[in-house]
Amino acid sequence: MEVPETFTQLSLNIDPASKAISCDDPNLSSDIEELNKLHRNIVGLDTPNQIPLPPMPVNPKRSVQITKLRESGNAAYKKGTFPEAINLYNLAIRMASDRPTWEASGLVREELSALYGNRAQAFIAQQNWAEGAVDAECSVELKRVGNIKGWWRRGHCLKEMGRLEEAAEWVKTGLEFEKAGPDKQNVGELETLSRDINKALEKS
Amino acid sequence: MDDQVPFNSTFNGTFNSSSNSTNGTFEGFQPPSPPKSFWTNLLLPTLYLIIVIGSLYTFSNLYRKRQVAKTASLEPWFPAHRQRDIYFSLLHLDPAEAGGEDDEKKLKRVPDSILKAALMQRALEDIRRIVQLRTSKQALQTLLQRGSVGDELWQRFLRAEQEMEAEVKDVVNEANDFSPNWGQVIFQSANEMNQNIVIKQRIAELQEKLASDRAWWDKKKAGIQSDFLKEVGASESSESTTAATPAPAVLKPGSSDEEGVLVDSDVPTQAQGGANSKKKKGKK
Repeated sequence: MEVPETFTQLSLNIDPASKAISCDDPNLSSDIEELNKLHRNIVGLDTPNQIPLPPMPVNPKRSVQITKLRESGNAAYKKGTFPEAINLYNLAIRMASDRPTWEASGLVREELSALYGNRAQAFIAQQNWAEGAVDAECSVELKRVGNIKGWWRRGHCLKEMGRLEEAAEWVKTGLEFEKAGPDKQNVGELETLSRDINKALEKS
Repeated sequence: MDDQVPFNSTFNGTFNSSSNSTNGTFEGFQPPSPPKSFWTNLLLPTLYLIIVIGSLYTFSNLYRKRQVAKTASLEPWFPAHRQRDIYFSLLHLDPAEAGGEDDEKKLKRVPDSILKAALMQRALEDIRRIVQLRTSKQALQTLLQRGSVGDELWQRFLRAEQEMEAEVKDVVNEANDFSPNWGQVIFQSANEMNQNIVIKQRIAELQEKLASDRAWWDKKKAGIQSDFLKEVGASESSESTTAATPAPAVLKPGSSDEEGVLVDSDVPTQAQGGANSKKKKGKK
């Protein structure tokens, strides 16, 4: 069976200057918005024919900028100016999430995971446990295996906030993941944290 | 069929009666009658065949048409493909009459870049649908074998699958029209788009929790602080400033240095272990 040779004609308007599409139908507004966003991305392309390239390899410019931002964030962190470090990480995160959507998702995961992890660390250094916990969870969500630091950070934050049962559960899951992961030899930190949490649980 | 018997008998009869005569007389004698009887005798079998084949044909035709009508009347698996509608509407949109009459520079037609964007959106929606079909196929098959679902559902599913196949082909063709070889990668790109969107949604979900977590922790922190103050006693009010943070004060100076090393060593993974263990000591 062929695709029906029909379609529903929608009343769309195009703005001649900005070339933005608009529509009166509120049901379509989200689709139209997505379309316009993608269009802006496509117009910015400098590839032949303005065709989105295959996902890999990506345009290296953005990656370089993100790495630069992250490194200056790390430098600020080392100096102890945590708010500045967090700002820099914020910028880098925004930059990484603004990649054209057709670029490789694996790369986005990798970058965002590292950035969220670093931001979590900066929050932890300021004892903002709630923010640290959420950021560390984001980092783990993006990269579950080979992310011992991410698991450790959230576990630590939860422990500091007194959510011990949650922390024990979290670290246990983390251990399960990481013991099967690529750096098994480094799970020692997680194990120590798990012991600490269990001790604290026994005490309370 | 009965008519064939007289034909044969006459033929045999004639043949037998004139068996002594030469070939020439036999041929000369026969021609007037056989053609006539031959054609009239063939008429009935052919008629029979025509009727049989014709009725079979019409039956199968009708049956098939009815079947198609039946599947067509089934509810489609997916809702209307909005991205596809948008794409085609844009293709058929004539901006000169559609809008911007007072603008001086009128667009002759919708620019290609918009059509490309619309096509990618369409491919994205296709990817989503394909993923949905693939994930549900296994389960549906098992259910069908067990008789838990009706045949109608399976018909709907098969129809959706066929439609998707044609739809994908159509998108690839359209993409190749814009630029040769784009058709080969457009679905790769669309797949990454899909993945990226999933990632962003997930992160947004997680970050949404922050506000409530934060509020909860602030409240709890305030509680701990007041408890702590009560324990320490109002007389030692000078100490209350240092106790503003609920966590042990030892923690901070010890940790900051070590973690500086940790974050820095984020890129080379080898150094992580050492830094981590150091950090741990600092934290404890």
